[in-house]
Amino acid sequence: MAAVVDTHAVASGFDAGDAARRRNNVAGAPQPAVVKPVEAEDKTKAKKAPSFLQVLDQWEWLIVPILVTAVSFFTRFYKIGLSPIVTWDEAHFGKFGSHYLKREFYFDVHPPAGKLLVGLSGYLAGYNGSFEFKSGETYPEEINYTFMRQFNAFWGAVCVPMAYWTAKELNLRRPAVWFVTLMVLCENSYTTISRFILLDSMLLFGTVATTLCWAKFHGQRKRAFEPAWFLWLFMTGLSIGFVCSVKLVGLFVTSLVGLYTIEDLWRKFGDTKIPIPELAAHVVTRVIGLIILPILIYMLSFAIHFAVLTNSGPGDAQMSSLFQANLKGTEVGRDSPLEVALGSRVTIKNMGYGGGLLHSHVQTYPEGSGQQQVTCYHHKDANNDWFFYPNRKDTDLDIEAEPRFIGDGQTIRLIHMQTGRNLHSHEISAPVTKADKEVSSYGNLTVGDEKDHWKIEVISDAASRDRTKIRTLTTAFRLRHEVLGCYLRAGNVNLPQWGFKQIEVTCTKDNKPRDQYTHWNIESHVNEKLPPGDPGQYKSPFLNDFIHLNVAMMTSNNALVPDPDKQDDLASQWWQWPLLHVGLRMCSWDDKIVKYFLLGNPLVYWGSTAGLGVFGLLVVWYTLRWQRGFRELSDDDVDRIHYAGIYPVIGWFLHYLPFVVMARVTYVHHYYPALYFAILVLGFLADWFLSPLRKSIQYGAYTVLDVVTIGLYIFFLPICWGMVGPNKDYSYMKWFDNWKMSDA
Amino acid sequence: MASALTPQGSVRQRNVPGSAKNNKDGAASDVEIDRVIVKKPSKSKLVAKPAAKPAAKASERDYQIVGFFITAAAFLTRFWGISHPNEVVFDEVHFGKFASYYLQRTYFFDVHPPLGKLLFAFMGWLVGYDGHFHFDNIGDNYIDNKVPYVAFRSLPAILGALTVSVVYLIMWESGYSLPACIIAAGLVLLDNAHIGQTRLILLDATLVFAMACSLLFYIKFYKLRHEPFSRKWWKWLILTGFALSCDMSVKYVGLFAFVAIGSAVIIDLWDLLDIKRPGGALSLPDFGKHFAARAFGLIILPFLFYLFWFQVHFAILTRSGPGDDFMTPEFQETLSDNLMLSNAVTVNYYDSITLRHKETKTYLHSHADRYPLRYDDGRVSSQGQQVTGYPFNDTNNYWQILPVVDDQKMGHAVKNNELVRLRHLVTDTILLSHDVASPYYPTNQEFTTCSITDAYGDRAADTLFEIRIENGKPGQEFKSISSHFKLIHNPSKVAMWTHTTPLPEWGHKQQEINGNKQLAPSSNVWFVEDLPSVPADDKRREKEERKVKTLPFLVKWFELQRSMFWHNNQLTSSHPYASHPYQWPFLLRGVSFWTQNDTRQQIYFVGNPIGWWLTSSVLAIYAGIILADQFSLRRGIDALDHRSRSRLYNSTGFFFLAWATHYLPFFVMGRQLFLHHYLPAHLASALVTGAIVEFIFSVDSGDSEAVTKKPAADKRHVTARERFAGQSMVGAWVAVLVIFAILGAGWYFFLPLTYGYPGLTVEQVVRRKWLGYDLHFAK
Repeated sequence: MAAVVDTHAVASGFDAGDAARRRNNVAGAPQPAVVKPVEAEDKTKAKKAPSFLQVLDQWEWLIVPILVTAVSFFTRFYKIGLSPIVTWDEAHFGKFGSHYLKREFYFDVHPPAGKLLVGLSGYLAGYNGSFEFKSGETYPEEINYTFMRQFNAFWGAVCVPMAYWTAKELNLRRPAVWFVTLMVLCENSYTTISRFILLDSMLLFGTVATTLCWAKFHGQRKRAFEPAWFLWLFMTGLSIGFVCSVKLVGLFVTSLVGLYTIEDLWRKFGDTKIPIPELAAHVVTRVIGLIILPILIYMLSFAIHFAVLTNSGPGDAQMSSLFQANLKGTEVGRDSPLEVALGSRVTIKNMGYGGGLLHSHVQTYPEGSGQQQVTCYHHKDANNDWFFYPNRKDTDLDIEAEPRFIGDGQTIRLIHMQTGRNLHSHEISAPVTKADKEVSSYGNLTVGDEKDHWKIEVISDAASRDRTKIRTLTTAFRLRHEVLGCYLRAGNVNLPQWGFKQIEVTCTKDNKPRDQYTHWNIESHVNEKLPPGDPGQYKSPFLNDFIHLNVAMMTSNNALVPDPDKQDDLASQWWQWPLLHVGLRMCSWDDKIVKYFLLGNPLVYWGSTAGLGVFGLLVVWYTLRWQRGFRELSDDDVDRIHYAGIYPVIGWFLHYLPFVVMARVTYVHHYYPALYFAILVLGFLADWFLSPLRKSIQYGAYTVLDVVTIGLYIFFLPICWGMVGPNKDYSYMKWFDNWKMSDA
Repeated sequence: MASALTPQGSVRQRNVPGSAKNNKDGAASDVEIDRVIVKKPSKSKLVAKPAAKPAAKASERDYQIVGFFITAAAFLTRFWGISHPNEVVFDEVHFGKFASYYLQRTYFFDVHPPLGKLLFAFMGWLVGYDGHFHFDNIGDNYIDNKVPYVAFRSLPAILGALTVSVVYLIMWESGYSLPACIIAAGLVLLDNAHIGQTRLILLDATLVFAMACSLLFYIKFYKLRHEPFSRKWWKWLILTGFALSCDMSVKYVGLFAFVAIGSAVIIDLWDLLDIKRPGGALSLPDFGKHFAARAFGLIILPFLFYLFWFQVHFAILTRSGPGDDFMTPEFQETLSDNLMLSNAVTVNYYDSITLRHKETKTYLHSHADRYPLRYDDGRVSSQGQQVTGYPFNDTNNYWQILPVVDDQKMGHAVKNNELVRLRHLVTDTILLSHDVASPYYPTNQEFTTCSITDAYGDRAADTLFEIRIENGKPGQEFKSISSHFKLIHNPSKVAMWTHTTPLPEWGHKQQEINGNKQLAPSSNVWFVEDLPSVPADDKRREKEERKVKTLPFLVKWFELQRSMFWHNNQLTSSHPYASHPYQWPFLLRGVSFWTQNDTRQQIYFVGNPIGWWLTSSVLAIYAGIILADQFSLRRGIDALDHRSRSRLYNSTGFFFLAWATHYLPFFVMGRQLFLHHYLPAHLASALVTGAIVEFIFSVDSGDSEAVTKKPAADKRHVTARERFAGQSMVGAWVAVLVIFAILGAGWYFFLPLTYGYPGLTVEQVVRRKWLGYDLHFAK
């Protein structure tokens, strides 16, 4: 089949004309539709024409997955390299991939597994990481971006056979299984999102795979502790680990499995015939398979991340100073003098998890004192530089004299290099953490008072027991305000927009020596009068780095605000998604550009959304009937509703509700994992309502559903495969004003 | 005694062991328990029921006596020193002011529904206060301003005191023993937060009282479930609905009570639907009647009551006032003495006008100075004449409005959606906008002016602006004051906009005017304030006395409601004493209400820490008991007798549900929150505490005996006395004494902070900073 795909691609690869693509559609996509009715009829006619159809029937389990996989690969791979420009978020993820190839440390809010794979695809494509992936730019000759896209599309393509197996495992009947498979296969939004260098195809793969493994594991429930049971238990854990390492959205499908496990264990707990040791074994195996294993995989992805990224890069500042000192090409700890003296120019790093560099800029506090802001900031710039100065009672700094070293208990001033102001605190509440005091930059070399005085209290020193000197990188110290007696603290609280969402710096009255957010260390140190040393010889432990990076990810995820670079109209709101109210333009809408539009298959979206409502009514109906004494459902029926209906609905809620509550910017593709569960529900409903009907009606209904699904898919295919030429040519798809695939 | 409740009790009793055996499939047993009785089983007092036996009556004498003393104590604690301080405290600023507005009948706007404020106004009206004082600042003196503030404060004090009695009654009605009733009521009686919040002109007393009443009335209603559709059944159903409605009409958090009662009603309906219902299956029409009655009594009636208060609100507030600006012009025209009615003048072409920005109240202004060629950030300007926003009257604010075709025809009115030009009179230039970035906003268009020749020459298109009246109809006349409009630049479709960041020195620190590409925001709205070219005695200014217009009630209500929700969502700014819900059960933080420096007195709103920690730990204990019971049931171990379990799940469970529904929703709320939001939940937790203390100190010995002794079925609820017949209550009474002693001590210790009297020394203040409470005068 791969060969066939290739031929198509080559045949029309250069001719992007409308007609050519249509012809291809006809050739490629409808194949399942042709096959299905044949197979459907096959049962009714089985007696008349036994041999061939019986064979087909017997081999359905193999034929159908192969067939749909082939079609799926075709639809996801076809003309994948048509658009030679960096499309949409390829700008981000391609760039991260480049960082892996250049082995430069970067920082991002998502866990590393997905981006590692992007990096791997680049490596396999022979790409050296030199391209910047600027949005909208054309790929240079030397990048085999087609391969990189194909690598990503692979993950999206294999979702289709997995959906087939999942539906089968959930005991849906054959036509319903096909319908579910077809809905995943013929889902335009899934197709489009899989065809670019994005994390979403991997996320989708992880979600679908976890659901499959969970269903398989559930299917083994009567054969506990047998090899197959163990296999699927660990496969579930494995896919949970994978999906969570791609995006933290994976936690939602994890909670689905978690809920199932709790219910399962609660059921077993109530079965007094199960001996306690067996019960304990059930608990322990699940803890190992579903909690410890995924955590290990998650940590492994970070271990690889750290192992690959050994060069200094743009994300250094998110990490502890010691970690940075161990990166190649870093400034930190290189040739900087070991011991800090008055007059040294330093940057000061907060040692709490996710802590930044002490920072100040000319912007002032809008409330409180109205003086210059002091914050913690992860980006390295000159505004992070401070001078150590003697306090106002001390003799003035003499540049000519021998350097005076700073040690425990000494009172000093810190002067901001760019603005010449003193680090200052006073009896004014901090802007966000009202219980603490505000810290500002105030005065200058001569103007000021004792409120500029800070006393150094050394907490620990990894390199030495001698506390009479402060050492670059290794000494952890606190800064105590002389007048107020409070400690300088940066507790990962983001300032509002006026503070550019940087971290608030306060002075806290609580004297908690173990509070890491009050611990600081010297990161870079410049003093020409002192001999250079190599303070960075100590390694920071992996676990520390791991936690540090994760805390940093959480804190900056919280600060995620609308990106002014992105057009406003790209974002959409949660209520719009299930209604297919809007789509998303993935690139500029210039006539010369191949245009891609994110929009789903209307039948799948509207059908699955309606299905959720219908399913709710179904459950209410049967519950009320049950309370009125009707015992019309067999145990099998109840089981089917429970596992093929209710669990997917829970999965949908878990993947949908968080986006409703979340205050951050959301886009249409955030709905895609939820959509998969809605599709499963729709498949269940089709099975539930159609299977009791007469065969002829049943097959008729399924045929209609399948044909419409395929038909709409093909109708909207140009938005997935790329729209060439003026967008007005595609106005025939613009059913609603909000579907902006065309300006017409 | 055993018995629970009802004649059918025995039937159910028999069912239960059976289902307990079935336990393997635990789900069934859970359902069974839920189904047994929603809640509130027994109780003693058969209100005024003649059938009640004399013995039972006698047994209630002690409840009555204790109830009397608790009520008396409640009034004492709420009214003691109520005249202190004689200054405006905390949010009295708002609610006192609103009462004054009602009394002066001037329209105001607030995010809370009207009932609570109406009650204050009613209080003021009773004592003949005229509403002259506007409660402008915390610390303003009441005596100097002659405000009957004690009358105002006595309303919440009365309701706050009655709340204690209602708590007592809830426990009594629910059939708890006397010690349990006393503990629950005592926790509210001696709670500094309840006391503090109910002695001041604040809404929470009304809110908490209504919430407690809704619980009490629903319990009363539920106990009459064996006489459905009787007169009394209807009475308590409707009263429940009324209490819920009052709750919601005071503050929207009252909706939580709907959730609490609603959940109980749903469980109740579920049981009524049961085909194997102990009292015999109900037919579907009968069930429909039950359903309809509850829907009517608990949803439709409360909503009508809720609307009714708005009708009262509109009926009282007939004059224009500070709330006008929140409403549409159509709404404002329904108010008398309205500036809009008296001063609105139709704008004609060739009139000169002053334009004012609605949000920042600045005038559209221009002067001969020009934009600097290059801004600080390196971008360049057109170097055209500056157009700015200036807040003061000035002849440079005068603009003449010209038609597209300069035909010099006078007396033509400007209409909605017409294109106009604006001529700046002093410099004789025409307003213009073009595709040049504004000084501060690279994305917004610069506004400037150009000479008249240019305006009719090269730049003709760029000087055209459309008048787009808000909610206007095509062809509507453009009027001063009443027509709120957006000025849309015709070729580029940007709206004239301004913001409060002042321009640098070159712009004389005046406001920047620029063209905003977003047309929708209300910050684009302007209005014509005056027409300086029309003399004060001109005919056009004369208005015949026009009638105040009317709008249908529902239209007004809907507009106000939308505006309230919108503004409620905007209340996200931070407040120095705002707190987070997780802090409340632990009482980590209070609110400073009032301070007086010279006497070192202060009111710091904080609960009785001992009481709060006790109730919060009891909530944890309750959750622990339920979990432990579920786990042991699951393993087939039945540690509780049927009656204790049913009481624990149904009665105490209802209180716990009330606590959860009044607490947990705050976690998802975005607006600023304060400790006083926990008061209704605290009241529910006090109920749970009373119930759990009884549970702990009355572990049953023999219920088998009880079952056999069960009296023949009469439809009477079993009293606590019957339940505990022959049991020693010594333990429970000791608990009462101990709890009361430490509660009293805690109350007394924090009393100076609650009553604002006497002042405390530094050392005394520091001693009260238990969890680092941010008290004043600590040094």
